[in-house]
Amino acid sequence: MENHLLEVKGIDVLYGDVQAVWDVSIHVEEEKIVALVGANGAGKTTLLKTISGITPAKKGEILFQGNSIAKLKPQEVVDIGISHVPEGRRLFSSLTVLENLKLGAYPSRARPLMANSLERAFSLFPLLKNRKDQKAGSLSGGEQQMLAIGRALMAHPVLLMLDEPSLGLSPIFVRTIFELISTLNAQKITILLVEQNINQALKIAHQAYVLKTGKIAMNGSGDELLADPEVQRAYIGKRWSKS
Amino acid sequence: MWEYITFGLIVQLFVNGILFGTMYGIAAIGLSLVFGTMRIIFLAQGTMIIFMAYICYWIFTLMGIDPYLSLVIIVPLSLLLGIGLYHILFREAAGLEDKNISLLIAVGLMFLMENLITVIWTANPRFIETSYTSFAFRPMGINISVTRLNGLIMALLSTAGVLLFLKKTMIGMAVRAASEDMISATLVGISPHRVNAVAFAIGIGLAGVAGVGLATIYPFDPYYGFIFALKAIISLAIGGIGSVVGALLGGILLGLIESLASFFFSGGWSDAISFAVFLIVLMFKPEGLFVRSINKA
Amino acid sequence: MEDKRSILISVLVVIAFACVPFVLDVDKSYFVFFLFLSFCYVTITQAWNLVGGYTGQISLGQHAFFGLGAYTTAIIWLRDITKTGYFFDPVTMILSGLVPVVLAIIVGIPLLHRLKGDYFAIGTLGVGEIIKVLFVKGGSFTGASDGLHLPSTVFESMKPYYWTGLFLAIFSTVVVYFLIRSRIGLALRAIREDETSAASHGVHVLKYKVFAFAVGAFLTGLAGSLYAYYLFHINPDAVLKLNWTLYPVLMCVIGGTGRIMGPVIGAFFMNGVFFLTDIYFVEINPIMAGLLIIIVMRFMPGGLIGLKDMIMSRK
Ligand SMILES: Nc1ncnc2c1ncn2[C@@H]1O[C@H](COP(=O)(O)OP(=O)(O)O)[C@@H](O)[C@H]1O
Ligand SMILES: [Mg+2]
Repeated sequence: MENHLLEVKGIDVLYGDVQAVWDVSIHVEEEKIVALVGANGAGKTTLLKTISGITPAKKGEILFQGNSIAKLKPQEVVDIGISHVPEGRRLFSSLTVLENLKLGAYPSRARPLMANSLERAFSLFPLLKNRKDQKAGSLSGGEQQMLAIGRALMAHPVLLMLDEPSLGLSPIFVRTIFELISTLNAQKITILLVEQNINQALKIAHQAYVLKTGKIAMNGSGDELLADPEVQRAYIGKRWSKS
Repeated sequence: MWEYITFGLIVQLFVNGILFGTMYGIAAIGLSLVFGTMRIIFLAQGTMIIFMAYICYWIFTLMGIDPYLSLVIIVPLSLLLGIGLYHILFREAAGLEDKNISLLIAVGLMFLMENLITVIWTANPRFIETSYTSFAFRPMGINISVTRLNGLIMALLSTAGVLLFLKKTMIGMAVRAASEDMISATLVGISPHRVNAVAFAIGIGLAGVAGVGLATIYPFDPYYGFIFALKAIISLAIGGIGSVVGALLGGILLGLIESLASFFFSGGWSDAISFAVFLIVLMFKPEGLFVRSINKA
Repeated sequence: MEDKRSILISVLVVIAFACVPFVLDVDKSYFVFFLFLSFCYVTITQAWNLVGGYTGQISLGQHAFFGLGAYTTAIIWLRDITKTGYFFDPVTMILSGLVPVVLAIIVGIPLLHRLKGDYFAIGTLGVGEIIKVLFVKGGSFTGASDGLHLPSTVFESMKPYYWTGLFLAIFSTVVVYFLIRSRIGLALRAIREDETSAASHGVHVLKYKVFAFAVGAFLTGLAGSLYAYYLFHINPDAVLKLNWTLYPVLMCVIGGTGRIMGPVIGAFFMNGVFFLTDIYFVEINPIMAGLLIIIVMRFMPGGLIGLKDMIMSRK
């Protein structure tokens, strides 16, 4: 048996009457980077939201470390070690940088470690340390993304889910973010990465899935998919519109 | 009438308005917190204040306990009541998309409490008369009644307390975070029921403080609660939803407007003027007068 | 078929109601008075349903329209403006509906344009309270807080009241029913679901909102007029009290918002509760209303009509 940290088995997700995800199965191995790619509206965000408990699945099963988590609420999912950095970052913009980080350590498991976690976050993102008393809403896009990731790390996740972390960032920040993902992965954090920056995502991913209109269209190792002519033609070499 | 107006009188009207306005202010802070996390205007807030005023009255008449001393009973009691009310009445409805359901439960609660109070204490106005009720300070000929001054002190202390709580404690920060973005809050591990219940507890806790303040200053009857809730809503709109200090200032400004309006126009107009101010603020400065900017996405 | 059957049942029920005065002694029966008041409630609740239920604009200022309708009838009759000083004169009644329409348009345009959700609710509440103060302070024209005494203070029989009430209840239900099935209704529901998307589909949002608000005001004003004929003594406490807003809201919600039969079920049910508790539990009567609202909202947020759906979907 392989070492599956997360297993999603045959889930259907609906918004009202409209189905966004159809019978999707993926698995994420421990300490790997798994990329989830696909066009705008393919259902990537929905899949992450389902794993973290925001939009529960209509059908199917989700196992984390062998336990079913499909029925858990978002706050319970964080508790067991899955942190989700949502699309658009969604910081608490009227709270300070420091307050945002502290709230990241809200789960009871993470709270006693807060002082160390803060130190780790500030050493990872020295930029944030200088701005710790500034309102999160006043940061630049790149700084906000770092804060969002920093906030998620405060919970000491086993699995970190990132939804389009490079969206709307300047090329320098995009590079920083991808480097950061590799660094975190080297620290044994498993990563589930949603990206429209497919080329870069596939380069760092050990495993990848291509979602197409709510269904898994292809999967394989990052390199395999990168070399696949179909992926090349359909997803790479074309500029992606922002969602 | 104009010939009677002296500088001292104007100052007196200002002082009265500010002192009583703080009661609206703390009621508005409660509304603001509940609105923050649950997105409903808790219309029963005024009736809860009146209920607490009656409890204070009861403790005073039956046990002879001084109204200010009774705060040590009333505040914990109202905090617990807030948590209880949330879990019994609002827990399910809070998760629904349709906010009108929570709003209507609040209306039902208001009806229920109003009439419960009437059954228990009758509809006759009540008032707490202590040995110091008529005592007043007279700096420079201005009359500052000791009960109103105490009301002001209580309001300032509880505002400071709420601010400290929101700023310094983890759960307080969680309430602020959830007010801004509930989904994002759950993603860092915050339970909506937890923050809703806390917001409710503080809201009703403040109603306890306002109830004691009111009971010592003003005669009250069961139906005054609804009017009081409306005044709190107006204060909130003037001050700006989401700002604790704004809500207090909104209440003070409303107190001032009322104090001046009921002097310069005959009594009945003052409510209409409050509402007119409210409508004008809503129309032209919907984010409130005391909120500098809203940095919402 | 489902439709035909419901229409048939409705017609039969209406005929049965219309025949009640031939069976019961209208002037002595408490039950007939109950039905009369229920008809009034159906009328104003249906009006609220159009605005709050179908268009999604929670108005808390309906008592202003009700009171304005009542006062219009009283003032016209007292001053014999239309020279038609008799009961249920259609000209007077229609004017009593139109005066609230004027108010609805004047306040509706700014309020519906600028305010949404809770803010609109509280804004309309403010308007209602201001109107009340205006009537209290209206001097001899409105009779101030003592109000107006109508010239006649006797009525021969309750029958005309009963039938007029029944007519208004049916009229408002039919008006709302056909409006909702028309293109206008489509626009109104689109606004309730998603205003931005309605606007992007070419719906003139403000125009439709004001229209619904005005129709609601018209129907409410008619009910106010009928009530004025019933009361003889019109004063702010009687016709401008907030209950004329709160009761229809509760009845609508308890019956089922945004459903054509919701207001009918809600009005009869709540009024029934008021009457029964008034007879059997005099002291705790008002407590029951509050308790009931809480229970219905807490356990069946879809209203009583939703209960039927819940049972149906279980099967
Ligand atoms: N809150 C929502 N309500 C209704 N439909 C939604 C909602 N969010 C997403 N969808 C729909 O679900 C589908 C998948 O969306 P999403 O998961 O956001 O895609 P992606 O993240 O891959 O761009 C799209 O068709 C989108 O329109
Ligand atoms: Mg997405």
